[in-house]
Order: sequence, then structure tokens, then C-alpha cells
Amino acid sequence: MNNNQNIIEIKDLKKGYDNGKIKALNGMNLEVKKGEFISIMGPSGSGKSSLLNMIGGLDIADEGTIKVAGIDMMTTKNLNKFRSKEIGFVFQMHNLIPNLSVVENVEIPMYETNTSSKDMRKRALDLLKSVNLGDKIDQKPTKLSGGERQRVAIARALVNNPSIILADEPTGSLDSKTGEVILDLLKDLHKKENVTLVMVTHEPYVGNMAERIITVLDGKCLTDNKTTNSK
Amino acid sequence: MSFLSLVVKNPFRNKTRSSLAIVGIAIGIMVIVALGMITGGLENSTQSTLKAGAAEITVSQAGSTGIESIGSINQTYATDILSLSGVKSTAGILRASNTTTATTSPNSTQGGFGGGLSITGIDSDKLSLMGVDSVNGTTFTNDSTNQVIIGKTEAQSLNKTVGDTINLYGQNFTITGTFETGNFMTDNGIMMPLSTLQDLTTNQNKVSDVLVKVTDNANVTTVSNTITNAYPNQLTTSTAADSANRINQGLGFISTASWAISLLAIFIGAVGVINTMVMTVYERTREIGVLKAVGWKNSRILGMILGESIVLTLIAFVVGTVIAVVGVEVLLTLVPSVGNAITPSFSIYIFLRAFGIALLVGVIGGLYPAYRASRLSPTEALRYE
Ligand SMILES: Nc1ncnc2c1ncn2[C@@H]1O[C@H](COP(=O)(O)OP(=O)(O)O)[C@@H](O)[C@H]1O
Ligand SMILES: [Mg+2]
Repeated sequence: MNNNQNIIEIKDLKKGYDNGKIKALNGMNLEVKKGEFISIMGPSGSGKSSLLNMIGGLDIADEGTIKVAGIDMMTTKNLNKFRSKEIGFVFQMHNLIPNLSVVENVEIPMYETNTSSKDMRKRALDLLKSVNLGDKIDQKPTKLSGGERQRVAIARALVNNPSIILADEPTGSLDSKTGEVILDLLKDLHKKENVTLVMVTHEPYVGNMAERIITVLDGKCLTDNKTTNSK
Repeated sequence: MSFLSLVVKNPFRNKTRSSLAIVGIAIGIMVIVALGMITGGLENSTQSTLKAGAAEITVSQAGSTGIESIGSINQTYATDILSLSGVKSTAGILRASNTTTATTSPNSTQGGFGGGLSITGIDSDKLSLMGVDSVNGTTFTNDSTNQVIIGKTEAQSLNKTVGDTINLYGQNFTITGTFETGNFMTDNGIMMPLSTLQDLTTNQNKVSDVLVKVTDNANVTTVSNTITNAYPNQLTTSTAADSANRINQGLGFISTASWAISLLAIFIGAVGVINTMVMTVYERTREIGVLKAVGWKNSRILGMILGESIVLTLIAFVVGTVIAVVGVEVLLTLVPSVGNAITPSFSIYIFLRAFGIALLVGVIGGLYPAYRASRLSPTEALRYE
């Protein structure tokens, strides 16, 4: 709050599940600057996904403050509009719709944006070309390799020009070589589009690609270090 | 791709399950449309029994039930009744039946009910009382012994036309004309001079009924009572309105039954759709989570699932309607005795009703699953395995 360049500001955020028995977030603090690339690391169950969900407005915290892109996430209703405008999610599982073609999958987020079918198609095709899938546009996702599917998911995340990409273990289900291609793609996007990139991972070499590494334990921020990539 | 194409596309993801749901609803729609076409057809033909110009009252022997097929009363009643007040004209008619014989080709289908030809003897100048206003060709002359006219549907089922010969009671008759009254019973019969039929059936001077047409300003019920009062225990009357009412009561019952069947179809169809759509939502939990993550409004998710449900029932409407129309036509062609009696109704109302029911089933069946989908918590949906 002291720096208006911060696109994400989280203070003492708490979130419990199962009537508070599970404390997924337990006093989380985090500030992320606009255009920054950070990675969040930590053991399984430490609250990484929960943190990402709060940032993306998929769930609402119990206590604390969280502001994302100037919006107070604790009080704003109808976060779907915020998600549509500001956030692009990339999940560990690609989560593509199996009966739709690659290009149709990329168009899905644009239904909420008053875009004509023609413009939707054009935008989706441009993005698919930029992730090197220009020749697979009419394929069904089931016909694609894991890496190709994740590239489609990235195109889908970018289609509404979000200011923040939230990637939850985007390489988690890929072999390391394919994973690298995906990471290079994300890094490129970050560089070219100046999009803020928050990536959860538990693989150190993946985390090291970011400008900053946050480690999380028991729903709290444990360490916060700049890497050599830092500007 | 438009949102609408997505909604139309989605039900085809699980073809087996969607097909089963469609079949279930289509059966209901089929029953509704087929019943509607048949009852509608019956209603139309009842309407035509109340034809202007025809006799309003049928007089027959007291204690008899319905239509007598033999001469049971004296022909003289026809002239006696004519003297009563309110009576404009009368006609004694003799009803008989005869199976077709040698001259009809052996494999030709038999007309009339019970496999016999229904033959009415009547004076040619009284034909209008039977509802025969005009004859295509010429009518028989009253003293002829070898001339008949034939109803349109009977002519069709016997494959006869003006100038052809027909064998009745072992005698050849020339068809001098055809007629159409709109009453399926009448149109499914043959008419010849009264005296000729009396001679052939040894019913000289006897008739089955006396048809009575009332004067223009007379009340049918009053005249009917005058007749029964004039000949107590001898004659009984029935009015065209009476029999139309009886038929209408029967139709009313069929109509109530078809609404009950419709309701049952709605219920069964809706249960099938709810089941199908709940399964769909369940299987697509993660996907719904993703749609929420990419910014879809809850109302859009609701609209998608509800729309998919309506797509299912509208396909069922088309399938059910086509089967009903084809099925009724095939049935009426295969069973000509029924086919001659009923001209199925193609009233737009029948199809609109079926369409409305299909839409209703789609909405009722889709509402709950759609609501559930729209209310899913995105994080839980995304964690769903
Ligand atoms: N929707 C939920 N319902 C119940 N428990 C949850 C839910 N989301 C997360 N949790 C629990 O909260 C804790 C943190 O989970 P998560 O944020 O997914 O951790 P991570 O992503 O670091 O593995 C875990 O114990 C997890 O089981
Ligand atoms: Mg996680």
C-alpha cells in the first residue's frame, strides 16, 4: 500500500477450510510489483494453491487484506469480471474442453467480453500462432501431446490480455524437456508483454527462472529472495 | 464459435446418454402428437355429422338400440309423421349390409364396418336428408333395379368409379354416381332406391328409420318430443345433436386421457433430463471450475446447462413428431377400415402443444442441474478429481 506500483498487496491473510480445522493460509504477507516474475515454492499442502486462488479471486479469504490490480478482494462482489479482465490462469492439468477444437478452447474466455465471433477467432488464431500451434488449430485436445495442450492453455490464459498470469505448477505434469519449452514460453511472454507472472512450483530449477523466489510453509511466507534474474 | 453453437454442440459429447434421454422424451412427444392427430381427426368428423341440410331427427322402433339394419317399422310412418307440426320433410330409409361378392377382385379390401358393405335404401329425391347434397355423375332413378351411388371412401377402398359394376345380393349394379357428405359412416356406404333394397331383402313396405327434417323455425327437441308423444311405445327418436354430444363426451374422455398421458410424459421426460444433466454437470465439475476461473458469470454457466437440456428436448420434439406423423399415416394406410374412418388432424395447435411440452420438459429438467452448476465453488470444482 505504500508503493502504488504494487499490483498485488497481501497483508496478514488467513483462510481456513473445514470449519477452520485446516489453516491453508495463516498470516500470509506478500507484495508483487507490476511486471514482476515471481515463483512460489514450498512443500505440498503449504498453501501455495490457496494463495493463488485468493489472488485470482476464485475464493475469498477469512481475514486480512488483499488488493489485486487496485481491487479490494475482500469486499468486491462478482469477481468474475475481475477474473475475466485481469487474470489468466494456467493450471497443472491443462483442463481443456475435450469436444472443442484447440481454437474454440482458446475462445472460451472471450464470451464475457462482447467480442464478435469473427474477432474472437482472429485473436485466438494469433495467439495460437505465437505459441507455435498455428498448424493444430482444428485438432481436438485429445490428439495433442501434453506440452501442446499446456501451450493451448497458455494461449487461453492470455486471450483477454490479463495483467497477471497465475500459473499453478504449469510444468508439473510434463517431462523436463517439454517443461522447459513451456517455461521459455512463459518467460518470453513476461518479457514481451510485461505481464506479471506468479508461478507456483516445487522444482528448484523451475523456481530459479523467476526474478524472485518466495518460499511458503504452513500458510506463511518463509523467505523472500531476489534471484540473479532480478532487474 | 458463438455461445449458441457451444450449447448446441455440448449434448453430443456423451452420445449414448444423450440419445437415451432423447428417446425417452421422444416417446412421450410421439404419444402426445399421435393422440392429438387422431382425436383431432375424430373431432373434425363429429363436427361434420352436424351438417346443415341433413335430417335433424332419426325415428326408429321404440326399444331399439342405435341403428337397425333391417326393416323394423312400417314405411307409412314416414307419411304419418309428415303431418305433425314442425316437420318439414321425412324419408323412410332401409339399412342393410352385404358382403362383396365375385365381381370385386378377391384381394381387394372390404369396405364398411364388420367387413360388410353398408347399403342404404332411400328415394332419390330424399338424398339431402342423408346429407348428400350433390352427386358426382347422376343419381339412381327410383324405379331402377340396377343402379347405385357410392360414397367416396367406399369407392376408394373398393377401387370403383362411375360406370363400374358392383355385385350386390348376387345381382350386378351400375354405379351411376359418387357422393361425399363428410360423415365417415355415410361416405363409407352405398345407396340405392328404397323399393329395390326392400325387394332384395324382402322387407316390402318396411323401413329401418324415418329421417325427419324440421321446419326452419322449429325447435328440434320440441319436434322430437311431438313425435314420441304421438306414437308412444312405438317410436323412439334420436337427434343429430344427441349423437354428436355422445361422441363429444367420448372424445372429451380421450382428450382428458391424452392430457394425463402428456403430464406423465412430462414427468418421466423431466426425470430423465434431470438425471442426464446432473450426470453431465457431475462429470464436468472441473471444466465448470475452469469456466469460472476464466471469468464466466454464474448466469452464463446456468444458461449453458439449461440450454443443453433444452437442446435435448427439442431434438426429442423433432424425432417424436416425425415418428408420430409417419406412424399415424402408416397405421391408417395399413388398416383401411380405420383409415377410412379417420382423417388425422394436422392442426398447428397439436404441434405447438408438443413443442411447448418439450420446451417445458427442457426447462424443468435443466433448471436444477444448471442451478447446481452455477453455484459450484470454483476452487472445489478445480480440486475435483
Ligand atoms: N477447498 C478446500 N477444501 C478443503 N481443504 C482445502 C481446500 N483447498 C485447500 N485445502 C487444504 O488446505 C491446505 C493447503 O492446500 P493448498 O493450498 O492446495 O496447498 P499446496 O498447493 O501448497 O499443495 C491443504 O491441507 C489442503 O488440503
Ligand atoms: Mg497446489
